[in-house]
Amino acid sequence: MSSPALGSARRPWLLLAPTLAVIGILLLWPMVRVGILSFQDFGLRELVRGGAEFVAFDNYRDVLTDERLWKVALPNTVVFALVCVVLTVLVGTLVALLLHRLSPGWRALVTMSVMAAWAVPAVTGTYVWVYLFDARAGFLTGLLGQLGLVDVATQNLFTERGWFYAIATLNVVHHGFPFVAVTVLAGLLTIPSELPEAAMIDGANGWQRFWHVTVPMLKPVFAIVTILSTIWDFKVFTQIYLMPGGDGSNREVLNLGTWSYITAMSQNKFGLGAAIAVLLTLLLLVITAVYLRTLFKEEEL
Amino acid sequence: MRRLLGRSGLVLASLVVVVFSIFPVFVMLGTAVDPAANAGGRGVIPAGISLEHFARIFTQTRFPDYLLNSLIVAVVTVVASGLLALFAAVAVARFRFSGRTKILMMILIVQMVPMEALVIPLFLQAKTLGLLNSLLGLSVVYIAFSLSFAIWTLRGFVAAVPVELEEAAYLDGASWWQMFWKVLFPLVAPGLVAVSVFSFILAWNEFIFALTFMADDDMYTAAVGLRTFFTRSGTDWGAVMAASSVITVPVMIFFVAVQSRLSGGLMAGATKG
Repeated sequence: MSSPALGSARRPWLLLAPTLAVIGILLLWPMVRVGILSFQDFGLRELVRGGAEFVAFDNYRDVLTDERLWKVALPNTVVFALVCVVLTVLVGTLVALLLHRLSPGWRALVTMSVMAAWAVPAVTGTYVWVYLFDARAGFLTGLLGQLGLVDVATQNLFTERGWFYAIATLNVVHHGFPFVAVTVLAGLLTIPSELPEAAMIDGANGWQRFWHVTVPMLKPVFAIVTILSTIWDFKVFTQIYLMPGGDGSNREVLNLGTWSYITAMSQNKFGLGAAIAVLLTLLLLVITAVYLRTLFKEEEL
Repeated sequence: MRRLLGRSGLVLASLVVVVFSIFPVFVMLGTAVDPAANAGGRGVIPAGISLEHFARIFTQTRFPDYLLNSLIVAVVTVVASGLLALFAAVAVARFRFSGRTKILMMILIVQMVPMEALVIPLFLQAKTLGLLNSLLGLSVVYIAFSLSFAIWTLRGFVAAVPVELEEAAYLDGASWWQMFWKVLFPLVAPGLVAVSVFSFILAWNEFIFALTFMADDDMYTAAVGLRTFFTRSGTDWGAVMAASSVITVPVMIFFVAVQSRLSGGLMAGATKG
């Protein structure tokens, strides 16, 4: 572009300079720094005096040989994320299909409620679920007690790993399904109505129309919501940290995110915490890469 | 008959979704106004309606300070990230220069970096720079995290403005900066609204950095300050829920009100350019 109105060749760089500085200093350098830290013995002393010794793979060796990684943090992270992703995409898709079939008035009402659920911050939302599942006095604890699933007098759901993560799942799915619903609905609205109609004339029932017409057309949309949900659910921090015991006082419920944070911030083992953070990031990268690969492979066919 | 059943089925399903969606909000508000919230043995329907918990958090706790801190951080984030993103969006949408594609890719990729993985190095950096316990230090982090999305969204809006308008302003003798503020800025304002909502909510709701950066109790943001209502002697649930309502409800109303425009804006940003 040579229009005089646009100015000189230096202008784009001047316009970009502040952004590049912010991204460089606050995102790129810390990304490198966390990698460097993971090879250092960086503790309280180094925090105060500066200077840190390189210890090669010691931090990684410590993490990878720690039983807590294999028996606690990794299963908590992976199983929880998988369950959350499946449920979030399922609930979100069902709500999108519902919204798609509703009359404008009902659709507006349901959309507004779903948006309201979306807008609740993770922090305040988590406190509500904690309140509802509170030992003895919680409303939902009482309900579970009446169903005979919980002994209200003696059990504290948050101290039991299974229950802890069941509550966290409810919280995360509730927080995450609106995004899926809205995105899938946007996808549904782009499908020309002739396609399902033609399928109907050909004798396809509702399920067949959904499975053979809608799903293939929405594949890119499903790919996006699944990848994003996976990334979000693997690194859930706030919802776990704020539940009773989630801040490290109950080691059974640690996930990779809270383990990394507590190791660095509460125990001042910054190098070790960084190594856990790097492992979490690598895990996310691998999963995203695998998804994208599958996606592109199918495109080729 | 089948049609009727189908319709009542839809209504029933809609009600289930509505109740599931807003149940936590209902419980939050109900507990906030329930004078017996701290008495134990709770249902979800308040025993009465009183504003005593709200009065208490505003007069007897530091909650007003926390709220003000959150507001300052969110406003600084919105203004700064909006401006920086607009500059950057103009650069990538209006100019062809070598390295442009690489920069766009980089901006997209940094969006994938998990915030949680950066909290350790950013804490150490902020400590070195003396930016811990400071509203500015926290805002700067949120600016960085909202930039990528803002640039990608605004890029579409800038591209949608005809270059001819800028050239006309230039021929009328306007300088580049005058053209920028008087022609371009008003035309991309809807896009700026969309990215402002996004960055405001990010800064308003963020927890992990606010928790890590703010050491003193008077520097807490609202999201972190809620923790002060949990004490050894028990939880002041009335205060937690009243404060949660103050944090949540205005943002929620705002979000629901702008959502159609917001998603329209985001779609435009995603597809144009």
